Amino acid sequence: MNFDLTLIWDSVPRMLAGIGITFQLMALSAFLGMILAVILLLMRLSGKWYWSWPAQVFIYVFRGTPILVQIFIIYYGLPQLDFVRESILWPILREPFGCAIVALSLNTGAYVSEILRGGVLGVDRGFLEAASALGLKAHQKFIYITTPIAARLALPAYSNDFISLMKATSLASTITLMDMTGWRRLLRPTRYLFH
Amino acid sequence: MEAVTGWWDDYFWGSMIVVQVFFFSLILMVLFGLIGAAMKLSNSKIAQKIAGGYTVVFRGTPEILVILLLYFGSAITLTAIAQIFNPEIKFLDVPPIWAGTIAIALIVGAYATETFRGAFQGVKPGSIEAARALGMSNLQTFIYIRIPEMWRLALPPFGNHMLSLIKDTALISIIGLNETLFVASQAISTTGKPFTMYLVVGAIYLGFSTIITLSVMGAEKFGERTTVGAR
Amino acid sequence: MTEALIRMQNVDKFFGSFQALTNINLEVKKGERIVICGPSGSGKSTLIRCINRLEEHNNGRIFIGENELTDKVKNIDAVRREVGMVFQSFNLFPHMTIVKNLMIAQQLVRKIPKAEARETAMKYLTRVKIPEQAEKYPVQLSGGQQQRVAIARALCMKPEIILFDEPTSALDPEMIGEVLDVMTDLAKEGMTMICVTHEMGFARSVADRVIFMDEGEIVEEAKPQEFFDNPKNERTKKFLSQILTH
Repeated sequence: MNFDLTLIWDSVPRMLAGIGITFQLMALSAFLGMILAVILLLMRLSGKWYWSWPAQVFIYVFRGTPILVQIFIIYYGLPQLDFVRESILWPILREPFGCAIVALSLNTGAYVSEILRGGVLGVDRGFLEAASALGLKAHQKFIYITTPIAARLALPAYSNDFISLMKATSLASTITLMDMTGWRRLLRPTRYLFH
Repeated sequence: MEAVTGWWDDYFWGSMIVVQVFFFSLILMVLFGLIGAAMKLSNSKIAQKIAGGYTVVFRGTPEILVILLLYFGSAITLTAIAQIFNPEIKFLDVPPIWAGTIAIALIVGAYATETFRGAFQGVKPGSIEAARALGMSNLQTFIYIRIPEMWRLALPPFGNHMLSLIKDTALISIIGLNETLFVASQAISTTGKPFTMYLVVGAIYLGFSTIITLSVMGAEKFGERTTVGAR
Repeated sequence: MTEALIRMQNVDKFFGSFQALTNINLEVKKGERIVICGPSGSGKSTLIRCINRLEEHNNGRIFIGENELTDKVKNIDAVRREVGMVFQSFNLFPHMTIVKNLMIAQQLVRKIPKAEARETAMKYLTRVKIPEQAEKYPVQLSGGQQQRVAIARALCMKPEIILFDEPTSALDPEMIGEVLDVMTDLAKEGMTMICVTHEMGFARSVADRVIFMDEGEIVEEAKPQEFFDNPKNERTKKFLSQILTH
């Protein structure tokens, strides 16, 4: 193993191509993730348990497990299931790029939904009372009062999550393009600590 | 699920490694965070710059890259040094468990730096002034007023840092640590059931996250006894 | 030594280029009750915060008893032991029960044993009429109760002087009375007090002297009767007409 500067230089073009893929992945999954986040948010705010409960479970699972495990389940795991291979989504899930998009969108959707909820809960009651007093209906209050104020409140946290998404994107593209077993053969296979 | 039967003990030992990495990286993370926060709050421009660079680099770089750089970087350096004495040596590394523990502690420590700094500055100036007006010294004010109020402010983000740590342990499997994800990939190579095996890993991590979340909630409740009440 | 407990001589205070206090000369004798009033931003709070060095004055000299306020930590500590302070926003320590709030400085600063500190704390809590709240946390109390606790906390240190920095400004109207009652009791017992307040009724009945400040200067200084009935300075007249017309 030698540290070789020319190797870095030689790989610049390939790295640039990689940046392009990273940006595509990121833009697409940020967009899809946002749609998912809003749907999850509306489900949680609906006040009906049969809407809010599944949304809560989804968010809990995706925030409580490592993104790497989520990627592995979707990329390596799903093809084990027959109904997945027969579904109309198979053309997407067969491709590493498609899998990365699905995994990243689901993951970021869960996180962003929580951020948006924080924004909505942070909206001062006084504004909503003022809106009610002026005669605005519930959906009008949500669109004209809650949404703009909540968006402003959520923006700093969202920008942090965007950085997390960028990092997760590079993880996804690294993993799905890397031959894991070949990679690991380079290393000593086991290191038992306890037995 | 019967495919998993023969692998439970491997998963168990894998989980124990996750726990071990978590605890050691937690200690280091707190250490890095406190040092970073102290540097950011110090009067020294140089210390501020160094701490600023630390947080920008480690919060902005993908975790996997930090782990790979730290592991292979240290391995290359160690190998080069070893070859001076014995050219026969082909590869020498810092054990992945340690390289990985230090790497994730450095990453999350960068976030903890901001948390500790914010909590330190978030203590109400009124409390500090009252302590001074009562004649308490700087050290007494720090120990009896600042620290107890700080930890309450730092606790919620600190819980998130612990969740980040536990989830980042999964990444260390990439440099060959035999934790649960690594166990799963071995199990898959004999059973050919990737979905089942990775699902078990997900469940294990969800369990860890739940334990952390519940304990942080308990601690927050304990801290909140002084901030909520009949008013 | 003179019998003046506080002496301020030609004191100036700057915040950056803004001059908050200009040439302040003030003497307060033992047992005197002083009320300082004036429009907001006139430097009233800055003046009393200089007395226990929560703010550092830039020019002039300040003596508390025989101690001069300088950079010397020893002097500052000595002064703070003698000068109690009550803040506008109470500033009770939120993570401690009421009785702990009263004990902590006694134990740390005066090195008083725990049992004795608790006894003193309960004595003063009884004096401000809320001994039953001892084991609660500050947020569980009303604003008026919190401010009474803050006064008790200052009293526990057995100070020579107590500074009040707008003690009733953050309170709901119905709670102002209970705090002023405690302050009036203190005044009757002969405590040396300097109060920054807009409570003119309190000033009239309790103060030995009323000081009017504007733009960082002491504009007028008189006995309350004279101050309210026969103000000399135009600025004082204007302020009084604004504050008393409603």
